Amino acid sequence: MVALLEPAVVDKATTLETLLETPAGKRMMTCIQCGTCAGTCPYGEHMEFAPRLVINMLRGGFIDEVIKSDSLLRCVACYACLAKCPRGIRLTDVLLPLVKEQVLVTRTEIPAEFQKSLENMHRYGNPMGESPRKRAAWTATAGTKIPILAEVKRTVDVLWFVECYPSFYARGQDNCRAVAKLFQALGVDFAILGNEEKCAGECGQVTWESGLFESLAEDNMKLFKKYQFRRIVTADAHAYNAFHFRYPMFGLTQPAEHTTQFFARHLDQLKPRLTRPVNRTVTYHDPCCLGRATGSYDEGRALLQAIPGVKLVEMVHNRVNSICCGGGGGGMWLDTYYKQKGMERLSERRVREAVATGADVLAVSCPYEISRFEDALKTVPHDKPMVVRDVVELLAESLA
Amino acid sequence: MKPIVPKKNEPVRIGFYICHCGTNIASVVDVEAVAKYAATLPNVAVSRTYKYMCSDPGQELIQQDIQESRLNRIVVAACSPLLHEHTFRKATEAGGLNPFYFQMVNIREHDSWVHTDRTEATRKAMALARAAIQRVPHHKPLEVKKVGINPNVLIVGGGIGGIHAALTLANAGKMVYLVEKEATIGGHMAKFDKTFPTLDCAMCVLSPKMAAIGSHPNIHLWTYSEVAKVDGYVGNFKVTVRRKPRYILEDLCTGCQECVNACVYKDAKFADEFNLGLGKRKPIFLPFPQAIPPVTMIDPEVCLNFKRGKNPDGSHTVSDKCKKTCVEACGDRKAIDFKQTQEIKEITVGTIIVATGFQIFDARRIPYYGYGVYPNVYNALEVERLINASGPTEGEVILRNGQVPKKVAIVHCVGSRDENTNRWCSRVCCLYSLKLAHLIKEHTHAEVYNFYIDMRTPGKGMEEFYNRIAEEGMHLIRGRVADVYPDPNDGATGRLVVQAEDTLTNKILKIPVDMVVLATGLEPHPEAESLRRMFNLSCSSEGWFLERHPKLAPVNTFTDGIFLAGCCQGPKDIPDTVAQAGAAAAEAFALIDKGHVEQEPNTAYILDDCCGCKSCIPLCPYTAISFAEDTKKAIINETLCKGCGTCVASCPSGSIVQNLFEDVEIYSEIDGVLAEGLF
Repeated sequence: MVALLEPAVVDKATTLETLLETPAGKRMMTCIQCGTCAGTCPYGEHMEFAPRLVINMLRGGFIDEVIKSDSLLRCVACYACLAKCPRGIRLTDVLLPLVKEQVLVTRTEIPAEFQKSLENMHRYGNPMGESPRKRAAWTATAGTKIPILAEVKRTVDVLWFVECYPSFYARGQDNCRAVAKLFQALGVDFAILGNEEKCAGECGQVTWESGLFESLAEDNMKLFKKYQFRRIVTADAHAYNAFHFRYPMFGLTQPAEHTTQFFARHLDQLKPRLTRPVNRTVTYHDPCCLGRATGSYDEGRALLQAIPGVKLVEMVHNRVNSICCGGGGGGMWLDTYYKQKGMERLSERRVREAVATGADVLAVSCPYEISRFEDALKTVPHDKPMVVRDVVELLAESLA
Repeated sequence: MKPIVPKKNEPVRIGFYICHCGTNIASVVDVEAVAKYAATLPNVAVSRTYKYMCSDPGQELIQQDIQESRLNRIVVAACSPLLHEHTFRKATEAGGLNPFYFQMVNIREHDSWVHTDRTEATRKAMALARAAIQRVPHHKPLEVKKVGINPNVLIVGGGIGGIHAALTLANAGKMVYLVEKEATIGGHMAKFDKTFPTLDCAMCVLSPKMAAIGSHPNIHLWTYSEVAKVDGYVGNFKVTVRRKPRYILEDLCTGCQECVNACVYKDAKFADEFNLGLGKRKPIFLPFPQAIPPVTMIDPEVCLNFKRGKNPDGSHTVSDKCKKTCVEACGDRKAIDFKQTQEIKEITVGTIIVATGFQIFDARRIPYYGYGVYPNVYNALEVERLINASGPTEGEVILRNGQVPKKVAIVHCVGSRDENTNRWCSRVCCLYSLKLAHLIKEHTHAEVYNFYIDMRTPGKGMEEFYNRIAEEGMHLIRGRVADVYPDPNDGATGRLVVQAEDTLTNKILKIPVDMVVLATGLEPHPEAESLRRMFNLSCSSEGWFLERHPKLAPVNTFTDGIFLAGCCQGPKDIPDTVAQAGAAAAEAFALIDKGHVEQEPNTAYILDDCCGCKSCIPLCPYTAISFAEDTKKAIINETLCKGCGTCVASCPSGSIVQNLFEDVEIYSEIDGVLAEGLF
């Protein structure tokens, strides 16, 4: 598990030039060049400068060569290098973003799909370029009234931060409807931000654009300051990661929880309501932003095991050793680029492992994974049908 | 030289000396300024600086000044009293003064080594010096007391360290109690096949020493036994040993193993501890062929003649439901006793050698290496047993499915050099991995891949050994293994893929292998913490027992009379363990041979105004206080008092005084350190 990213370790003003002077940078000076990071990196074999070499180039004063290459366009911010590093070096969340930012600044050619998404995030507050005015449109299909903070005008217990993929994608909205159903079943006092909400910006931060992240974080912080709520709950593991590690640096004081964590904490109340059996063999994919990034491995599994009829099986790579779906760190919008470079889609690698378990359901808890794995299932051959479901969807299905 | 005894009204004349300790002190503390300052303080007659006070000329300076300047108190500001208090007390005595007219000030460990600001460090040195200068006028002449030493030695742990120390002392005529937790001595070394760098057979060199232990008239060997309690002090430790029941009478068993053959279980079906569960044994068994003592034992957890499960006190109940064919086979020897219970032994020893060893790292703590998940992932000790001719496969390196591996990966640094598990280098793994590479290749002709971070081969003959193994055609890959997983292209053979970066070619390797050997590191023994408490030892933050000084007292501990040998002090190889065991034996022998120990005269005594409330008596941890019915006052037995100060602090009438720590001495010291003017 990754220790909490404290401002003392690195603050938002740190640059590549000042990094080695910070506590996080001093750790980089202890790197023994063992190559665990490169060896575990899902795209390590496609990088001219794998993480190990990035550290040594930085220490040796040759980081410009790394910035000129496209190596770090191939980093999916999966935290595998960081989680296994025998020196506890903060690669994924400190070193690599700082290098990536310089790549973006200096590189003349940026894959178009990726550039468009970043622009969309900047202009519309979501990577798809959807109208911000339609952000809360899904609530009409929720089957229940979804309170909006601007309208409730009082302190709520839970600010449900819906995020982009659940708001705009059809399959993402299934997640929303499930969360709403579960909240209602538990009698949770919640509200959403509605159309005011903007992307939490995690991909801006962990990937490329600290400026973009900061402007989105500041916009969201204005809203968080305007309304009264006791905690943030979000179904997006990436947003959770940003609220947990980065937003406190911008003044967020309320605790953040991922939906799996929230429901696992309320499992005693929830379990008696889970009466409809879901007779499926399920395998659980650990999202990088929840598992390796925060050590939250058990909650998703505990929820699945609480559902009557569910048989949980594990993939070869699980927990700390899980394989990324390939969507993090901007990977969500680099699929075309990776294909051009002859790189295997990580979602396909992951789905092959899921298929090998013989499960009927690939359970996920990050909204990126729904579309990535459903796409991968279209290309990876499998004899037995397999569906992708968010853990909350399975929970809602089991509710009487 | 005539001893100088200061007359009662003679004015106090203090000699103050401050040591540069080369640049250790002088680079941070302005020693000249401190000396100059000390010269201004009351009673200071001489104030000097010197480059090395501990040197002969430094000590002579003190002696000379005592004579020439009629000094009657000495204060030296230098290093820790742990290192040189003794030296300067001797110098004070050589000058003609009672050695307890001396006081030491630590301005190195407590000042120059822990501060960087020269001005502040100098001020601190001044304050500490003034504390001692204000204290020392109240010092009294004291006598060192001598206590006799019991010549018997307790050695805890019967691995190669304990064995070597025991034989050294027993051969010198000392009585040794060797206590071993397991049913046989031999420790980890007995499980090894060959040893690096010479590739000589471990048991060939160990078994003669084990046999010598078993037959030595000066050694009481207590296996399957544990130290339960330690009381007393150097020269006179009272030790309680718990001998667990093995249900075989050691004196009567001949080691013929007819009982084993006769057991109602025709086949061995229980996991064999000595072979780490790779082999099987019966409920009655000999731990391994060369076990010492050569005495069988019964596992009551599985023997049919016992009820299943333990009693609350840990004992087992006889069920009497077995045909007891073992007893029949034993016949007139009558060595089997199902009713045996644990036995408590109490012994007195003068010195103790702790040689409790290590445990191997549990590789399940690194989940991505698949130990305990994939059957073809082994730890190094298991592979030692597979290679060993007396092991579960009689020396054939075969996998659990009976196949001979064609490709083998050896993963270095498993549970070593890793912030997530253990941070230290376990020191032996590189070399034993090279050894295993050689032996595996010799036994199987397999392709062997060693994945290492850095190849560490210090020591005599070790680099040459590395060279030899490299020449044999091993694949030596510089990169820490990042992942071990089943080969997706494999059917059901259990083949695994080892994934790592070859950091010297910048290539990511995914090598399919039939067997993965994890070079698991060394960890403190799981019972190290309870042993530490029992023997009153100190531990490093990692849990290794701490030596008194890393360079100059490597086998001593902070408890007088207790010594360390082997891996309980830190990872080391067999030659170093044996060398350390010899050193520990020599230290114990030196104490015994001297015949007595000198004890600090820091004992407490009772003043006449004791009111006889008896409240101190139950508080004394050494039962040194008794009540004199005639005078109706408490009295302290000086030989038993250890100077802990508990009674002094608790006495409601303030009638107990402790030498070297009298109230007036402590208060003067506090006044001195806090006096105005400096802070």
